[in-house]
Amino acid sequence: MAGVTRQAAAIGGGTGLAPGRPRRLPAGPFALVVPGLLLLVVFFALPVLALLLRSVTEPEPGFANYAALIGSGTYLKIFFNTFLVSAVVTLVSLAIGFPVAWTLAILPQGVAAPIFGVLILSMWTNLLTRTYAWMVLLQRTGVINKSLIGLGLIDAPLPMVNNLTGVTIGMTYIMLPFVVLPLYGVIRRIDPAILQAAALCGASRFQALRLVLLPLVAPGMAAGALMVFVMSLGYFVTPALLGGTANMMLAELIAQFVQSLVNWGMGGAAALVLLVVTLALYALQLRLFGTAGLGGR
Amino acid sequence: MTEPYLEIDGIRREFGPVVAVEAVRLTIQRGEFMTFLGPSGSGKSTTLYILAGLDVPTAGDIRLEGRSLLSTPPQHRQIGMVFQRYTLFPHLTVAENVAFPLVVRRRPRAEIDAKVKAMLRLVRLEGFEDRKPAQMSGGQQQRVALARALVYDPPVLLMDEPLSALDKKLREEIQFEIRRIHQETGVTILYVTHDQEEALRLSDRIAVFSKGVIDQVGTGEELYAHPTTRFVAGFIGDSDFLTATVTAAEKGRADLKLGDDVIVRGVPIHGDPGRPGAKASLMLRPERIDVATAPSSAVDGDRAALPATVEDITFLGASIHLAARTAWGEAVAVRLPYGHPAAAGLARGQSIGLGFEPAAAHCFL
Ligand SMILES: Nc1ncnc2c1ncn2[C@@H]1O[C@H](COP(=O)(O)OP(=O)(O)OP(=O)(O)O)[C@@H](O)[C@H]1O
Ligand SMILES: [Mg+2]
Repeated sequence: MAGVTRQAAAIGGGTGLAPGRPRRLPAGPFALVVPGLLLLVVFFALPVLALLLRSVTEPEPGFANYAALIGSGTYLKIFFNTFLVSAVVTLVSLAIGFPVAWTLAILPQGVAAPIFGVLILSMWTNLLTRTYAWMVLLQRTGVINKSLIGLGLIDAPLPMVNNLTGVTIGMTYIMLPFVVLPLYGVIRRIDPAILQAAALCGASRFQALRLVLLPLVAPGMAAGALMVFVMSLGYFVTPALLGGTANMMLAELIAQFVQSLVNWGMGGAAALVLLVVTLALYALQLRLFGTAGLGGR
Repeated sequence: MTEPYLEIDGIRREFGPVVAVEAVRLTIQRGEFMTFLGPSGSGKSTTLYILAGLDVPTAGDIRLEGRSLLSTPPQHRQIGMVFQRYTLFPHLTVAENVAFPLVVRRRPRAEIDAKVKAMLRLVRLEGFEDRKPAQMSGGQQQRVALARALVYDPPVLLMDEPLSALDKKLREEIQFEIRRIHQETGVTILYVTHDQEEALRLSDRIAVFSKGVIDQVGTGEELYAHPTTRFVAGFIGDSDFLTATVTAAEKGRADLKLGDDVIVRGVPIHGDPGRPGAKASLMLRPERIDVATAPSSAVDGDRAALPATVEDITFLGASIHLAARTAWGEAVAVRLPYGHPAAAGLARGQSIGLGFEPAAAHCFL
């Protein structure tokens, strides 16, 4: 990766860009960004700001909403559930996603392409459809339970819907592409000769994995993990359908505050907590890995 | 001759229908600098990768001090390798890269530090310890790779065109370093290149690869003076090839007919001509051809002479390059040293005689 950067720099320097050529982009293209930025400000940043404002003004000015959020065991449990599920989903996605991405990266293009097709197609399929499909698979009389009972492995059906297990399974499935794609990207960029060099230096397979491969794929892993964790924190559909009312997650709570209880103040406070956590994680990622792995260089 | 150290015993490697290495057989002495020289696609890298354990032969065996290496995975072969591409670990510093083979061998920290320091001194990169590979030039990176390959004292070092990405000046500088390191460490080196000058400069012996086999093995001088195949003759040094017909042959010497009526007697011949009349090529070295200003095909003592005309004269500093054409229309390049008396009076279109010693020429079938 670094080698590529260096080569690019060498080519840029070596061929000597024409002396008069400006080093920075001219102002022209910046103008093209303005409409998009405006759209974001008007339809995204302003509403978010308004919501956050309501969290400290409704029903009366102050931080009462936040105190209520933190002071209640019910709400804290929801926060706990949300972070627990997101963390488990992230870890399981990485554990499954890494071998998948690795296999895709070393398979010949002709074989890898159709697998990618399936992966992408699953991302394009309606989310509700996919979640209902999991409901069918996981319910008490579903295929999985029936097969397991049929094989005599269990006596009573395993409870896999209306609890956090179901949520975790369903969300891991949905999040998998988001770790596979960035991981595939970084793995493909590793020169196989570097791993051969590690072997010739005397590194066992495990040492090569730990000392060379993992450090090189870390940016992709971090990017995938961040994406999955942050998306999981705010996920609504799957927890709502597979988790049942007893196992609420944060997004459901916000929706309930705003829609059922029409309590914009509490809704805004919960949303702010989510936003702050997300931004903090993003800052951490930038600090540790820069923009590498997020598609930037 | 000492006992064989590294033996390549008839290895073959097929990639589907492609035969990359047909039957390579070679014995390398301890401490020898052996170079694989050959054109692109002749199987040099494949042979080297098989030695390293990064590839497996379809047939044949390789032995180090009599023990087969084939069942040993690369990480246990104790063979160092420098690749053509830069393969330093991009996330590690120069010092960490060089230390890597010792770290995976769990050597004590003090030993690692001392050896890394000594290796960086050997490749003349003291002071670069904390740089990342991306902050180094190509030549510096290859020197780090060399240090990394040598740091754990492997008995054998493989190098696959390590300098081909570098410019000429840097290449010569590092060739000199490699030569020095070879002498200082006594490591056995197998070196791949398709640059004959590099091969001649570095090696004790050269194995010339052609289409998956080794055509000939020998010192640079042996290959130059006594090539046994037309391919080797053409690959090492410059050469002129002329079409000839074998009129008689015995005891490795042949009489040849060139053009309609020029007879050259007693040329060393390689291969069995069968019955007289076989087509062959006569190989001459451009710098061993003499020029007589009078056209003649007469045999003067031990020398043969071919009638020809001057087509072009190029002054190249230390030598003068002559493009001549024989009376029957074949091109011959001649190189005369600067100041050679014959060069003084030459002009384009002039008739000349090209003189040479048949015993120093070669005939290939
Ligand atoms: N993995 C492979 N699959 C198919 N064919 C291969 C493979 N590796 C090498 N070959 C073929 O085997 C032949 C020998 O290749 P090899 O890399 O050993 O040549 P080389 O002498 O090192 O050439 P160069 O000087 O270009 O590096 C070539 O024809 C090449 O196309
Ligand atoms: Mg090669």
